[in-house]
Amino acid sequence: MSVSARNNVTVRGDGQRAMMFAHGFGCDQNMWRHVTPTFEQDYKIVLFDHVGCGKSDLGAYDHVKYSTLSGYAADVVEIGQALDIKGGVFVGHSVSAMIGILASIQAPDLFSELVLIGPSPRYINDEGYEGGFTREEIEELLEFLDDNHLGWSAAMGPVIMGNPDRPELSEELVNSFCRTDPDIAKAFARVTFLSDNRSDLERCQARALVIQCRQDVIAQQGVGEYVRDHLPKGEMVVIDATGHCPNLSAPAQVISAIKAFV
Amino acid sequence: MEDLEDLYENAPCGYLSLAADGVIVKANRTLAGWLGTQSFELLGKRFYDLLNVPGKIFYETHFAPLLRMQGYFNEVALDLVGPDGRRLPVLANAAERRTSDGGVQFTRITLFQAGDRRRYERELVDAKNTADRARKELEELNRSLEARIAAGVAERLQLEQGLLAEKEVARLREQFVAILGHDLRNPLASIVGGLNILSREPQSDKARRVLTMMSHSTDRMSGLIQDMLDLARCRAGQGIAVDPKPTDLRGVLEQVVHELQTAYPGRNIQPSFEIEGQVPCDGGRIAQLVSNLLGNALTHGAPDRPVKVIATITDNEVMITVANEGEPIPDHIKDHLFEPFFRATSSGEKQGLGLGLFISYEIARSHGGNLQVQSNQKETQFCFTMPIFG
Repeated sequence: MSVSARNNVTVRGDGQRAMMFAHGFGCDQNMWRHVTPTFEQDYKIVLFDHVGCGKSDLGAYDHVKYSTLSGYAADVVEIGQALDIKGGVFVGHSVSAMIGILASIQAPDLFSELVLIGPSPRYINDEGYEGGFTREEIEELLEFLDDNHLGWSAAMGPVIMGNPDRPELSEELVNSFCRTDPDIAKAFARVTFLSDNRSDLERCQARALVIQCRQDVIAQQGVGEYVRDHLPKGEMVVIDATGHCPNLSAPAQVISAIKAFV
Repeated sequence: MEDLEDLYENAPCGYLSLAADGVIVKANRTLAGWLGTQSFELLGKRFYDLLNVPGKIFYETHFAPLLRMQGYFNEVALDLVGPDGRRLPVLANAAERRTSDGGVQFTRITLFQAGDRRRYERELVDAKNTADRARKELEELNRSLEARIAAGVAERLQLEQGLLAEKEVARLREQFVAILGHDLRNPLASIVGGLNILSREPQSDKARRVLTMMSHSTDRMSGLIQDMLDLARCRAGQGIAVDPKPTDLRGVLEQVVHELQTAYPGRNIQPSFEIEGQVPCDGGRIAQLVSNLLGNALTHGAPDRPVKVIATITDNEVMITVANEGEPIPDHIKDHLFEPFFRATSSGEKQGLGLGLFISYEIARSHGGNLQVQSNQKETQFCFTMPIFG
């Protein structure tokens, strides 16, 4: 199984320098579709699905390897090396922001610049640290995932409601965007929300930009500031967007923040 | 004619409309009622303000992106939380209304109460998880079946070999008893007989001394053989054979004290026998027991202090106590005193096989009685008790 097939890697664009996009928990590479077109002229765009998500090879899911974020980071490094990326740009959303930081520590030559959208090194509160959630709340979330097994399959089923504005989306989205094995989804949620990577931040030598939404219930502004302050070369831009997915809700602002940075 | 305003407000489902930035701009009366509030109280809040924490996370990571990309979502399970904290399990459908350039105008959400259904679904999920676990366990069991059979067979073989070995040990023990009982005892009896004959002949002084020494040695050897025989019988599970009959126990005890006083002329033995009449017991064995205890007390007790031998009798029990002063017996030794071949390291000259206390204990048991030890700074006390029946 090639890395490319395992992670459903797609490469497009005319540029020399690589710009790799990594999706977060609950999504797949489709979430970047409003952001990537702008960069296709100047960059080689690399998209992929984490193993267990989207159209990745579910058979490659290894419960031990993917029980830590470094397992996911190792895949990012492998993809980068398979494509011979050097000094590229990494754009990671949510949990993939931390995965990018870990990958850049594992292979510093790969990316010279990291764009971190809604990053959090730890979601659970700790002494002197406000991650936003208590352990009980996260445990409750893991249980709650069970409640949406059935709701999920119904929502993602083959019933395609009218989608007149964007007919190109329906088939692909319904079949891939949310197609996640429930057990894998739960394991991914566990590693996402129970990890603590605060001590890794200072080991990252790449330039890094934190893109923070003004109203993000998952990664609040204090957490974004923490990441910026603990990265050796960190800066932050706050965009006027609501929610945890500005790449979907405010793509124009995300694009201009990336452009200003790279 | 249907009243559409009324249909909206009092529909049998909840309606919510969100502005492009996610703020609630309209909510119907049904939903407000379910949440125990008024419609206008909901305006200005965000949809995720109505969700519990897991719902917020899940909504933000899954359904908000899905809604943006797909334009709708259906049948999503969520828990709404009212201002008073009441929890309302619902299923939600949502659709975006978009402008001609693809921007969001607003989002409409329809909510259906789903408490029973969610509970039922949760039970289904639990049942599925239980079945999955059982299946995995079964697979694991099947996978390891061969190994477990092999282990079982090996264990069985080992057991059988153990049984065979045990039979062999039992056979050897019986042989040993036979050797002790006949092959050693018979020649010893001849030597004792010879000594008796010789002692009746005229003797030189030297011959008399040697004959006395030889006589003590044969006594001692005969005692050791008897102990070994007793041990072998106990080990074979037969216990010490006793022959209880009415016995002048006081006479037996006095004889033992006399013998040991003769053997230890410098020592102070203080007997105190409050015991009269015939007691049913095996006099020879009781003499052996008391002799062991008294011999130990004289050997291990403080040499300048008296050793007491006390015997009392009640309607249903005989109690014989031997007590000496001196160093107490350490606990770690006390625990093993009655085991065969056990010897408390130290002290000098003639040590037996380490069977004395073991055999004394077995004699006590064969009489339905008990032998116990107490030892402290003041004194060390071995106490034999035996019930009397009838």
